[in-house]
Amino acid sequence: MSLPALPMPAEDERPFDPPPEYTELRAGRRMVRVACPTGLDAWLVSDYAGVREVLGDGRRFSTRPGLAAHVLASYAEDGPIDNFTRMDGPEHVRIRRNFAPQVTHARRLAELRPMVERITDEAITRMLASPQPYPLHSQFSTAVTTAVIAELIGVPPEQRHLLHQAATALFDTSTKADELREALTPLYTYLCEAVATRRAQPGDDVLSRMIEHSADSDRPLTDTELTEMNAALLIAGFDTTASMITYGLVALLNIPGEWDKLVADPSTAASATEELVRYLSVGAGLLRQATEDTVLNGQRLKAGDYVVVAVQAANRDPALHPDGDDFDITRKPGAHLGFGHGAHACVGQQIARMELTTVLRALATRVPALRVAVPLNEISWKKDSVVRGPAELPVAWT
Amino acid sequence: MRVAVDRDHCIGAGSCAMTAPTVFDQDAEEALVILLTDSPPDSDQDAVRQAIDRCPAAVIRLLPTK
Repeated sequence: MSLPALPMPAEDERPFDPPPEYTELRAGRRMVRVACPTGLDAWLVSDYAGVREVLGDGRRFSTRPGLAAHVLASYAEDGPIDNFTRMDGPEHVRIRRNFAPQVTHARRLAELRPMVERITDEAITRMLASPQPYPLHSQFSTAVTTAVIAELIGVPPEQRHLLHQAATALFDTSTKADELREALTPLYTYLCEAVATRRAQPGDDVLSRMIEHSADSDRPLTDTELTEMNAALLIAGFDTTASMITYGLVALLNIPGEWDKLVADPSTAASATEELVRYLSVGAGLLRQATEDTVLNGQRLKAGDYVVVAVQAANRDPALHPDGDDFDITRKPGAHLGFGHGAHACVGQQIARMELTTVLRALATRVPALRVAVPLNEISWKKDSVVRGPAELPVAWT
Repeated sequence: MRVAVDRDHCIGAGSCAMTAPTVFDQDAEEALVILLTDSPPDSDQDAVRQAIDRCPAAVIRLLPTK
């Protein structure tokens, strides 16, 4: 008997909501076996407590197969172990602790805020001087997030196309493993050279700071590790955040009343950011693998079983918010799983929060008449990417 | 309210220091949690509970009050 297919996002039919099957599964905390697009079979978990349990317990649920191996054809079964997203335990903690001071330290984030504000303001000024409708996703959202992460790591403008090229291949569900290697090579080559340059001539960028920070440790980061870590920041750092800006604006500008609340009080940008990430994140879920025979939501799992956690469905769990299917930017920010949870929770989440908050506040202040220039049912959504959202978004403001 | 943190399992995500900055800080070297007070005032209790919910590594916990 063939298994039911993993429910997938379908923005053409329901622009902001997870597949309807989840309502019943989640209510009973029911575990079902599903067939995933890449051919592996997995247990599907869709309630908040269950998803939090899986992501929070790296000992029972390994990330070794790769967090998106259920939807990305490019994940080779025994992928390179120098990819920190596929490490467990102390190996992973060592890498993570070299990221944290640069990208998740509260004081460091405060230092970076003026840079994000400047880039955002310049992009809005450019937009307002342009003809309408204006292609917001490519010209504004992607431009802002690319400039932020590239400045952070010290990638000059003429090399920034390398991260776009790498991200397109990495997030495309149909890319084969060898095609991915080929597509990543130019960025990796550039970063390898950058590591050598910064070792000789350190700057104030994240890459230089990582070199300096790890130099005194028992096991300083190798050139390969530095390349891998910075490639991950660059690739994951612009596309996911850019897509959340664009997708978020579709929600804000289409769900009645929400944009008006933001315009009336731009300081709600922080709670709006939290609500957007809760409401719209990680539509295709995340993959883990059981390391031992165990029990989850009353179901026996065998060592080696795959588990897909449906993050977006879990974030709407009535156990978390009784009105979880409602979108409300003034909702009191609380826990959600939109940036993941556990040791592998998004390493760029504080930067993403700062970018989203800055952009929303600035747009609501400077472009209060912003509107989507096409009806909701004419928006073209990305189909082949695990990073969900509109492929492009024409906007106007007069 | 009494609070404890487990620095050995902290990943320096910064959520606590941003949610309850009068109770939690981060060290400069590894961005790991520093507990500024283990007995936060009543006015901080809500923020501390939020920080516990938001900590990805689940290293903050409440202790029974004496």
